[in-house]
Amino acid sequence: MIAERALLPELREHIRRIERPTAPTHGVLPFGVAAIDRVLPSGGLARGALHEILGASGDEEDGALAAAFAAGIVGRLARLPTSPSPSLTRRVPSLSPLKGGEGNEARLLSLSAPRGGEGWGEVGVVLWCLPRPDLYGSGLAAHGLDPGRLVLVRAPRDDEILWAMEEGLRAPGIAAVVGEIGVLPAVASRRLQLAAERSGIIALLLRRWRDGGQAARERALPNAAVTRWRIAALPSQPPQGEPGVGRPRWRIELLRCRGGEPACWEVEGADATGHVSLAATLADRPARPVSSERFRRAG
Amino acid sequence: MPLADALSFFPGLATAAAEPAEDAAALRRLAEWCGRYSPWTAPDGVDGVRIEITGSAHLWGGERALAADLIARLDRRHVSGRTAIADTLGAAWAIARFAEMGKDLVILPPGDCRAALAPLPVEALRLDPVTAQGLRRVGLKRIGDLSAMPRDALARRFGQTIARRLDQALDNLPEPLSPLGEVPTRRVRLSFAEPITEPTDLMLATERLTADLVQRLVREGTGARRVDLGFHRVDGQVERIRLGTARPSRDPRHLAALFKERLDTVDPGLGVEDMILAAFAVEPLPAEQIGLLGHPAGSEASGIAPLLDRLGNKLGLAAVSRLEPRESHIPERASVRVQPHLTLPIADAVGPLPLPPKGRRGPASSPSPLLGAERGGVRWGVSGKPPRPIRLFEPPEPVEAFWLLPDDPPFRFAWRRRRHRVTRADGPERIADEWWQPAASSADPREGGDAIRDYYRVEDEEGRRFWLFRAGLHGNDRPPRWFVHGVFS
Repeated sequence: MIAERALLPELREHIRRIERPTAPTHGVLPFGVAAIDRVLPSGGLARGALHEILGASGDEEDGALAAAFAAGIVGRLARLPTSPSPSLTRRVPSLSPLKGGEGNEARLLSLSAPRGGEGWGEVGVVLWCLPRPDLYGSGLAAHGLDPGRLVLVRAPRDDEILWAMEEGLRAPGIAAVVGEIGVLPAVASRRLQLAAERSGIIALLLRRWRDGGQAARERALPNAAVTRWRIAALPSQPPQGEPGVGRPRWRIELLRCRGGEPACWEVEGADATGHVSLAATLADRPARPVSSERFRRAG
Repeated sequence: MPLADALSFFPGLATAAAEPAEDAAALRRLAEWCGRYSPWTAPDGVDGVRIEITGSAHLWGGERALAADLIARLDRRHVSGRTAIADTLGAAWAIARFAEMGKDLVILPPGDCRAALAPLPVEALRLDPVTAQGLRRVGLKRIGDLSAMPRDALARRFGQTIARRLDQALDNLPEPLSPLGEVPTRRVRLSFAEPITEPTDLMLATERLTADLVQRLVREGTGARRVDLGFHRVDGQVERIRLGTARPSRDPRHLAALFKERLDTVDPGLGVEDMILAAFAVEPLPAEQIGLLGHPAGSEASGIAPLLDRLGNKLGLAAVSRLEPRESHIPERASVRVQPHLTLPIADAVGPLPLPPKGRRGPASSPSPLLGAERGGVRWGVSGKPPRPIRLFEPPEPVEAFWLLPDDPPFRFAWRRRRHRVTRADGPERIADEWWQPAASSADPREGGDAIRDYYRVEDEEGRRFWLFRAGLHGNDRPPRWFVHGVFS
């Protein structure tokens, strides 16, 4: 009787893994917003995977919103507690004195500890590869990413940026790798995805284009990224109708997600802790996320 | 005699235009090639090379063997010359040029070279022609005559140079040699009986050399920061690979991997006959404890140092940087790019060189030199100030802006051939020049009265938010100019 009761959850887990083979094996990074986490497989952004972030219209050239979105994601990585999320299939060792023992899992020493800084203190180094050094430290700090954790790698050519990202994904001590490129060959994206899976490091690709023709071509190309996001700017709503610019607002579109449906949300931009939050006018709406397209796009 | 006269004597004379610059370059290359014997080499005048072989003669089996090797190799290159080895530079110079003809190699035994120099003419002391002429007129034709004369009399008549040269030749005054390149602190050499050209062979030789060098470094407890691998080709040219590491390293696999990436830039030509690995900057490196199960027990900084080395050596050491906050009102000076592991800003950061913060600990002693939101007491994100953009343009890009009232933000502006209509704006935030700092580059929109900027945070009808500023005040003879400095999220 007791053995059967223990067997049932195991069978459920087994069946879940068969149904959703794309479940992330390195854990997830939740957004903290229920509406977004519900749509993503396993309730968050897959770690150990490649994610692609695009800007919209004029922002494709500057990449400010994409950078802010990426900064929020990476900043939240530092604040992730080391308690294992339910989808992890291996136990996370937390013997470091900083975290203390959280539950029974804390006292287990697992020989298959994942790399990428997990469990050894989340404060790893973030590698940001970009063609022009136009990131501003104070702006990053305002979105939740501590600029002291950044190592900037400046490379004028796309293939050099891809090479630098791959090197970063293979090195120990790196928490996340962010790269800004224009042209992405599908083979290169596959390599990045494999490298990310092997090491458990989250890899973010920001697409920036100066040329409209190149943008139109690249947007339509498929690649191996697990999720594809598009961030667009929305007019802000200052509090109580005061004049001036209020808290920044974004439209976040999940264009493509492996194991999930496309969706879009209107949120307020990442704050100093890196969290986005649903815009106030949407708080009263029903909990279902607003899907603007019911079909999967080819990209 | 003039060339015309010579041609009249001998019409079939072969002539060629003199190219002093090419000659000097060729001499330099020869001196560089002679670096295989010793790192202390330099061209000497227009027709000689001086080499300091004090510590390296034993590697060749003695001075005579070294000289024989040198003459044989020069012969193969059709370079004829005379070689002299002596205690001092002056003596060697004199013997090589003025000793009796017919002998290509003269080696003076160590000790007093006075006797060997005595029969040589006074020109052998490297004197200028006027002084030498004056000495001859007085009857002093040989160095032996000079050394017998009282020094102060000579100095009064002919100047201090004579005494100096005499002392240098007789080893009473030291004359150091200024070498051609930087002198390495450690050097290992591999010579091949037959010249090699295959990349695999070159790589094997590189690995052997790095293993040898690492052995020496391990014995001394140091690590190398800058290494130079020289490939001495058969035709006399020297190809080099220069490497720098972020932290002192004595990991042979890491160094060999760094060399391997750059090996395809080396052209072996007809073959490489020598490879010399030299370490230029070494720093103490204590033994590191390796962790259990392959996890490094050190901080994360030791883990990503090899990555920074690989990135820096392929993309250029200025390509890898970190952001550091600085105390400054001027936005482009408040965030500065510095080299990882150091706090010196790299060359293209705008702004003057800041002083290192007080109480800075060196990289070897700090447990996590890469981390921390506070560097030198300056924090990111000044509270109480308006928000800053996430992208900042260096230099700010000019825009065309239209405004109604002098202090108003613009209601419309054109940037990068796109027009934006402003719906909301915050500002102005006045940022004036820091009078205690020198002005930055000339691309800066700060000339004369334009040193004052009024910043506005504007939002256009699509929702994009920009950071505009007006440089200069109204009322000057020139209308103020508008720029966009950054883009918000």
